[in-house]
Amino acid sequence: MKALIKKEFSLCLHPTAFIFLAFAALVFVPNYPYEVIFFFSGLSVFFLSLAARENGDLAFTCSLPVKKRDVALARVIVAVMFQCTLLLLTALCIVLKQRFFPQTVLINLAGNSANLAFCGFGALVLGAFNLVFFPLHFSEPNKVGVPFVISSSVQFALIALLILIRHIPFAAPIASPDPENLGVKLAVLFTGLILYCIMTVLAAWVSMKKFEKVDL
Amino acid sequence: MLALEVQNLKKVYPNFTLGGISFSVDEGQIAGLIGRNGAGKSTTLRSIMRLISSEGTVKVFGKDFARDEETVKAAIGYVGGGFRSYPNKSLSAVANAVAAFYPHWDGEIFKRCCEEYSLVLSKKVRELSEGMKIKFSLALALSHGAKLLLLDEPTSGLDPLSREDFCDTILSLKGRGVSVLFSTHITSDLMRVADQIIYLSDGTILADEPLETLMKRYRLKLFASLSDANAAHTIGVKRVKDGFEGLVTSSEGREATLDEIMIHLEWSRRQNESAY
Repeated sequence: MKALIKKEFSLCLHPTAFIFLAFAALVFVPNYPYEVIFFFSGLSVFFLSLAARENGDLAFTCSLPVKKRDVALARVIVAVMFQCTLLLLTALCIVLKQRFFPQTVLINLAGNSANLAFCGFGALVLGAFNLVFFPLHFSEPNKVGVPFVISSSVQFALIALLILIRHIPFAAPIASPDPENLGVKLAVLFTGLILYCIMTVLAAWVSMKKFEKVDL
Repeated sequence: MLALEVQNLKKVYPNFTLGGISFSVDEGQIAGLIGRNGAGKSTTLRSIMRLISSEGTVKVFGKDFARDEETVKAAIGYVGGGFRSYPNKSLSAVANAVAAFYPHWDGEIFKRCCEEYSLVLSKKVRELSEGMKIKFSLALALSHGAKLLLLDEPTSGLDPLSREDFCDTILSLKGRGVSVLFSTHITSDLMRVADQIIYLSDGTILADEPLETLMKRYRLKLFASLSDANAAHTIGVKRVKDGFEGLVTSSEGREATLDEIMIHLEWSRRQNESAY
């Protein structure tokens, strides 16, 4: 698995994947739909899969001494590495923002505020992307665009739903700056992280099963 | 010992069926998988490598491919018709990534192969000619100590001199105890290197035997009429300029070339099919 991941980085990864990580800094922009940050993470997975397809990567990799299903798993693991890095960078930017920015800009009027609960929302959006994109892509690896459009549509629908929550009166505590209403926000954060894990594990499992049967 | 043992390999496509074929390749032997375009040669090799899902069992040096996928693949060097992956990467980048998969990768052998084949490691894959791509694939395969090479039409698109180089390389591998199964429709390459011929036609095996036996088994005879040809139990009778021609198993007629044997066996198969 280590060799597979190394190969993903050295032969398949598109440099934009690293640039998209920098988009975590968007949380510093006042009144912005911060959830969009996690859409860009999907773009890096899209470019990774596209580069792999254009490089004839899957057929070549499957001829190396690896289990066919592990090839799909390695791609998911690389995506998870970038997603976790993005979540951590976003959390770091949020901490910096809350510490150094004036209280007046901490409330986001365009969507959910950048706080602990927002990281939970981010994990949920990333998990939803994984659950849709990878099984669709690995059931027909020559298709990258269609799975991306479908998974991005699901992401945007979810983002719209999460922004709507912001306007529901009883959900007001999750829009407050940290450390206010910490219990509720931690509950949202951990729920998001748990759902991310469940959705990603499910995505990897289905992708591996489907990829076994694919003709390359 | 058998280097490769294939049993009941079957793959069904909407317009083509690889019909449960079985064959084997002895250790240290060079086997040619021959057949016309679309006969199922690539499907066979890709099924062996599990690149496509198919039925049947494949054993490499006695190990079941499905059960010991990683171990078996480590003993195989697969070349799917030239090196078409990672065109914008340098040869050294590809080799470094590939080396990480093989515990027995020998950098010295790779270096020696590159020198022998005049491969410049700083070059990008897309800058290589088709012949050089084949050589790069072979260098990768030899550097991890592959004991069985599966080559899918390695000589297609190569000029005669490059094909000659390829044949020399394959023969030198035989000297090192490497077994080879390679598909082609260029019979002159097979005549030069193959010990065994596996003739595939429309997803079924028409002949599987040592090259020498196959060449001795059939002779080509010319008949004045079709009835004469049929009376002599001729195989794959075809109309030719001066009458009717077909394969006979007696000592009559002239020596048949591998091309002629292929053509008449194929013709015979078609005649049998149309008879049913």
